[in-house]
Amino acid sequence: MSESSVYGLMAEFDSAQELVKAAHKTHDAGYKKIDAFSPFPVEGLADAIGFRKNMVPFVVLVGGIIGGLSGYLLQYYVAVMTYPVNVGGRPYHSWPSFIIVTFEMTILFAGLSAVFGMLALNGLPMPYHPVFNVAEFAKASENKFFLVVFSSDPKYDGARTREFLKGLAPRAISEVPS
Amino acid sequence: MTTATMNKADLMAPTVAQTMQQRSLVIGVLGAIASVVGAVKAPESFYSAYLTVFMLGLGLSLGCMAVLMLYHLVGGAWGTVIRRIMEAGMMTLPLMAVLFVPILLNLARLYAWARPEDLAKDPKLADIAHTYLNFNGTLTRAIIYFALWIGMAFLLNRWSTAQDSAEAKDQSTLRFRALSAPGLVIYSLTISFAVIDWVMSLQARWISTIYGLIFIAGQALAAFCFAVLIESILGKRKPMSEYLKPTEVHDHGKFMLAFVMVWAYFNFSQWLIIWAGNLPEEIPWFMRRMQGGWGTVGVFLAIFHFAVPFALLLSRQFKRRAGSLVWLASWLILMRIVDLWWHIEPSASLHHDTVHVSWTFFAVLAGIGGLWMAYFFRNLRARPLLAVYAPQTLRLLEPSHE
Repeated sequence: MSESSVYGLMAEFDSAQELVKAAHKTHDAGYKKIDAFSPFPVEGLADAIGFRKNMVPFVVLVGGIIGGLSGYLLQYYVAVMTYPVNVGGRPYHSWPSFIIVTFEMTILFAGLSAVFGMLALNGLPMPYHPVFNVAEFAKASENKFFLVVFSSDPKYDGARTREFLKGLAPRAISEVPS
Repeated sequence: MTTATMNKADLMAPTVAQTMQQRSLVIGVLGAIASVVGAVKAPESFYSAYLTVFMLGLGLSLGCMAVLMLYHLVGGAWGTVIRRIMEAGMMTLPLMAVLFVPILLNLARLYAWARPEDLAKDPKLADIAHTYLNFNGTLTRAIIYFALWIGMAFLLNRWSTAQDSAEAKDQSTLRFRALSAPGLVIYSLTISFAVIDWVMSLQARWISTIYGLIFIAGQALAAFCFAVLIESILGKRKPMSEYLKPTEVHDHGKFMLAFVMVWAYFNFSQWLIIWAGNLPEEIPWFMRRMQGGWGTVGVFLAIFHFAVPFALLLSRQFKRRAGSLVWLASWLILMRIVDLWWHIEPSASLHHDTVHVSWTFFAVLAGIGGLWMAYFFRNLRARPLLAVYAPQTLRLLEPSHE
């Protein structure tokens, strides 16, 4: 099998602690393109594979600002420019009454940005993923813990990476076809 | 620190608490002496300053009680780590009850409804004063408020002390919850009535139904800021350095963000409704606060009690570090003082238009503030910083996954 058709190497572990430890060691050994899979959220695992910062807060902030601005400007456009109505002698640009819609639009856009931003950043929906080519991987939703080193990692080398993963004492190592 | 090695002596407050207690007491006593001088020499500016600082101290005590009740109802490590701080804070309520006496004895210096010459000019106000806003009514209601507050605080505190002894090990948290649920309702109702009596009635013919909620939001905010302030002092030292983690500080920061927003939301709602209605009986309160320099103070509050803290608190990194969060917490406590001052001073000094701060304000701030802090540290030092045998404490000290 040529290396280009290999997605990566998958190591299987029995417990969350072993996985976190192995992930730490792999990351420290210089492998940066790695991922870990577990049946439940494991504290410290994201840290261990070098996942420090996610972009969701930034997406939410931008979404919120766009929502707030569009809410305010829409009202300004309607109440001041296209359809001005004199309400009790108040100025057309009565900002206090614009705030509620502005606020709600901020929340709406920020909320939608959070959901869709999170999905997009996770690459979802994802109908195909190579890890499922390994039969044992089904246990990732039951009681097994997996660590994958991607073949796209510059340090990746079929034989040497396999040797390295063996040193982490996994239950099994499988090659993941892409 | 594991449960096996943990004992009461390890969990006592560090010596810095004793130092703080002594210094606070010195400041408090000096401030109290200066306040007495102020009350005699400058009574026209003294009593509104006194009421402002009294409401600040009361807000901290009650805010601590409300946050503690919230914690008993919803749980979470965020509350376990500050529980004893909240308890020490709410147990200063007896001091606040004593400090209310000078207000009660000088009602005529603050409230138009207590001045016969004002009642003679305004028959409607005389009606209100006859039925509700009068000395006997104020006294009776104050006794009810303080009895309920001190009663609830006393029970929660005594049960908490019981959790320090091994015999209480199997005790459930049920009674805390059984009191806290109605307790929060009682708190919100009594504080609403109390601020009508003590603050809103400064402008006796003006009514706002959201007024109590504005104070509740401010009190909860003050309590969380106070918790961050204390944990920034104690968190660097044992024992708190052993169990206070960035996650909990982060939670306190989130609560600060929430209550900054709730405070702004309530204030803006009041402003929007009165502005939209534009009714002659409703707008005087805001008219008064837009004249002279008071309008500037209002804009200042909108920016520095809401906008800037809001923007800062959006940052995750900012909220996770007690070292950075404490600056904003201290600032917000200062803003609480300005906000209360903006609520009280314009109504109390209807005769002059310009914004001014009298020296008596700082005297009272030192006096009540110092005594409150000294009392707080005394309470805090009396017991371990965690309720030793409480189930939540045991959970807190267990590592999360092993």
